[in-house]
Amino acid sequence: MDYKIIPSVCSYCGTGCGVLFQVMDGKLTDTLPMKTHPVNEGKLCIKGWNLHEHVVSDKRLTTPLIKKNGEFQDATWDEAIQTAAEKLKGIVSAHGPDSVGVLASAKITNEENYLTQKFARAVIGTNNVDHCARL
Amino acid sequence: MEEQMKKWLEPFSTTDGKPSTLATMQEQVKEWIDQDKIDVFLGYKMVQGHPLPHFFTKNNLDEVDELIGGQARYSLEKIATKIAAEKPAIKIGLMVRDCNQRALNVLYVWNQLNPENVETINLNCCPSKLKKHADCSYLEPEKAAVYKKEVGIDNNMDVEDAEVFDMEQRFKRWMYEFSKCIKCYGCRDICPVCFCKECSLEHPELIATGTLPPENPIFHLVRAVHMGGRCIDCGLCEDACPVDIPLRLLYRKVNATVEDEFGYETGTHADQSPFNLLGDEVTLEPKPL
Repeated sequence: MDYKIIPSVCSYCGTGCGVLFQVMDGKLTDTLPMKTHPVNEGKLCIKGWNLHEHVVSDKRLTTPLIKKNGEFQDATWDEAIQTAAEKLKGIVSAHGPDSVGVLASAKITNEENYLTQKFARAVIGTNNVDHCARL
Repeated sequence: MEEQMKKWLEPFSTTDGKPSTLATMQEQVKEWIDQDKIDVFLGYKMVQGHPLPHFFTKNNLDEVDELIGGQARYSLEKIATKIAAEKPAIKIGLMVRDCNQRALNVLYVWNQLNPENVETINLNCCPSKLKKHADCSYLEPEKAAVYKKEVGIDNNMDVEDAEVFDMEQRFKRWMYEFSKCIKCYGCRDICPVCFCKECSLEHPELIATGTLPPENPIFHLVRAVHMGGRCIDCGLCEDACPVDIPLRLLYRKVNATVEDEFGYETGTHADQSPFNLLGDEVTLEPKPL
């Protein structure tokens, strides 16, 4: 029997609402708005209220997938990264760097987002960078 | 901020000048856990500068020294209901204000919690017309701004004041309030007495889906009707509403009707609700096959 309330910050958009995760016997069961958080003051949108669902969802991918013969198949990270790199390289050499756009994410850290734009600008050579939280 | 923190940490100062009873409460909780009277106690603890709901068990008995009243009001009874649904035999201790107690009464009536498995420690409640003295100022209402006063409903109104408007005005004003809804379901999700497995608000044949605001006024009126004989006027829904819809006032009106028609005061006791069709026993004779 183990119950916990874990304070965190919503990862859906850039607002930064305070949330509380309810953890029962190691399983994330619910999300509550943090009442004293200066950003959201005890309020959340529908995505925030259901934040735990993308952690516990059955639909969550647990391994990389590569589409072969029209169907997604389990792959290793090495295979997945190799495939992505080769395809990106091919597209850049055939159509130029501005044929690629990079979308960063609210679910990763600031530092990872920095790396993402660096990858777009320095490696691919495009300024086509945007973010899912630019609502 | 410092003043506020101080208030959170010492919510137990009594009117008659008696010393803080925080220590007494902590002792009581330790005793209950030690003697296996309860398996878990739901109270508050300061975590990262925030008063948060916290679980105290035998495994973290030392932490009971950090148990506080917590001026931020969470629905501890809703958390308890969810735990009890997983583990029906568990004995739960709760820190309760008046509103939590009213919610518990409703949850007992609807068989969501077993009163024999629940122990409570009472805490001063938020200020209200019934209880002038209170420590919690969390529900101190915000003043309505000019535009809201002109076209909407002031959240601080009494039911009688809101009925002064003529029918056309009243409908227009409520529709303005409902039109702000972003369908976050926060009012339902935070509600201590909302426990249905299937919710009418999510039923596509009852309420149209795919647009914002949701189908109005039906979305809000369905919820309002379901609050009859259930709502314990804790105000958590209004508190969680990102667009400031005067839900508390709406449900007060519904409950006033329940009281007029059935003489039932929701949450004041754990007696059967007039809307509960199920008895404790089956009284019908089984028919021959």
